[in-house]
Amino acid sequence: MGLKDILKSSTFYEILQGMSVTGSYFVGEKVTVEYPKEQIPPFERFRGVQCLISDPETGELNCDACHICATICPSNCIFIESSEGPDGTKQLDSFVIDLTRCIFCGFCEEACPRAAIAMTSAFEFCTYNKNDLILTKDWLVENQKNLHKELRKR
Amino acid sequence: MAGHESHPTAPPKPRATPEEMRERKRLSRQRVSDDSEFITVSMGPQHPSTHGVYQAVVDLDGEIVVNTRPSIGNLHRGVEKLAEVKSYHRFLPLTDRLDYISSFAMNHAYAEAVEKLMDIEVPRRARYIRTIGDELCRLSNHLLWLGVHVMDFGAQTFFLICFRDREYVLDLWEMLCGARLTHSYARIGGVAADLPDGWVEKCRAAMEFMPRRLAEYQRLVEKNRIFLKRTQGIGIFTQEDCVAWRVTGPSLRATGMERDLRKTEPYAAYDEVDFDVAVEYDADVYSRYLVRMKEMYESCKIILQCLDQLPEGDYINQDAASQTFPRKKRVMRDSAAMVQDFMQTFRGPKVPKGEVYKAIEVPKGEMGVYIVSDGTSIPQRLHLVTPTFYHCQATPALFEGEMISDVVGIFGSVDIVLGDSDR
Repeated sequence: MGLKDILKSSTFYEILQGMSVTGSYFVGEKVTVEYPKEQIPPFERFRGVQCLISDPETGELNCDACHICATICPSNCIFIESSEGPDGTKQLDSFVIDLTRCIFCGFCEEACPRAAIAMTSAFEFCTYNKNDLILTKDWLVENQKNLHKELRKR
Repeated sequence: MAGHESHPTAPPKPRATPEEMRERKRLSRQRVSDDSEFITVSMGPQHPSTHGVYQAVVDLDGEIVVNTRPSIGNLHRGVEKLAEVKSYHRFLPLTDRLDYISSFAMNHAYAEAVEKLMDIEVPRRARYIRTIGDELCRLSNHLLWLGVHVMDFGAQTFFLICFRDREYVLDLWEMLCGARLTHSYARIGGVAADLPDGWVEKCRAAMEFMPRRLAEYQRLVEKNRIFLKRTQGIGIFTQEDCVAWRVTGPSLRATGMERDLRKTEPYAAYDEVDFDVAVEYDADVYSRYLVRMKEMYESCKIILQCLDQLPEGDYINQDAASQTFPRKKRVMRDSAAMVQDFMQTFRGPKVPKGEVYKAIEVPKGEMGVYIVSDGTSIPQRLHLVTPTFYHCQATPALFEGEMISDVVGIFGSVDIVLGDSDR
């Protein structure tokens, strides 16, 4: 055991070294944000709660009720009901997403051939009532306000 | 089985020869006397240091562990059974939930197995993107492991420092695929989407910056007397033990065996990049730490090489129309692609009859996927050979003869995630 080792062990060298790192972060730049007051915006591809896209001019939904999203969904959380409309075309009656089952994989958006459903940036949907997590068609259309990306990009 | 002489960066003299290691393990096991009364202590499943819902009932002779009865299965979700009712495409997001710390590596293992079964080719660009993804997973997994492992030995701040730097990797993931934890990024025949604009530059900046941070960790940890005393010579698990219990990954490489599927059975683009297999020779907790530390440096190196060599081309195979999804852009414009989209969704991929096993090197060890196909679009049987399951079954041999206070550290050193073991 050399003099260096004796000095190291008697002065608690490691603790001083560790504390110097802690001290340097004490004065350095902060890497965290105070969440509810300050928010980091999600990236463009972020997969938040879904929305149903409607035409901005006519207000009609892009959805043709083809059931492709309900079929590809790995957790079977999309429920669609459709009927024959007045002009003989398919008409979307109800579109329900069960968020208690949804795993946010984004397959519904990816499979949709009409760009009618998309993942938005909405991620703050905590609730005390589980029934609030059953999303109806109106809620999903309303959720378009959280859409943060240009569709049909990839 | 390669000796330590063959490795170019092998140290001239390891701290212990394999014979010495075996002798030490034998001596530590001898400390256990047969005639005394044992105290039984139950650790977990809610114990924070068991890294998940793992229960270990240990019999103690004084402070020395005599016998361990591991209990797993608290996180069982029946993933293998779920695979039997979903088409090959629809099962992919569920593989995220196996090892949720490195979910892309799990996606990749599954996709590689399915591609081997269907015999379809992955475009070169997709293979590069997958390599980058695998290494990003390795980085984020090892950073989390390092923080938690050092916290097991009592360092609280270090955990937060590791998490701060893990954030850079997670940001890259969010930009790339939209999720920070459950990526679902691989697809059969490629990946879900191309690299977004500006991603390459951001990734390169992060990978050039990361080695400096790793050096800072090493300065903090490797010179710390408490850490060295609590890791060196503790939890020795020799090469024979590892082979007998099928312990793979960094724990195996810490015994001096140069087994890394990235080198021995190259997949993705690993045969086109230059990297070293991290090997250590002491088989103790400290060696496992060193192996993972080296692997993180190598990961940064591999990612930088991949970014430099990144080829142009498709990110998903467009030739195998009966097995893969078309690109989204094409679905909007091309009616044939739209039909393909519907066929893949409603009927599933066209799969030949047969059995296939494919293993890749995930951060925790070797992850194998075994598929039995009866020719329909749903697997008849899908078995997941996950590393954590084998690491958990080795715990009785791993803990035997060790002090109870070291059990937490040793258990952390083999790197486990219970979602991986329980499936």
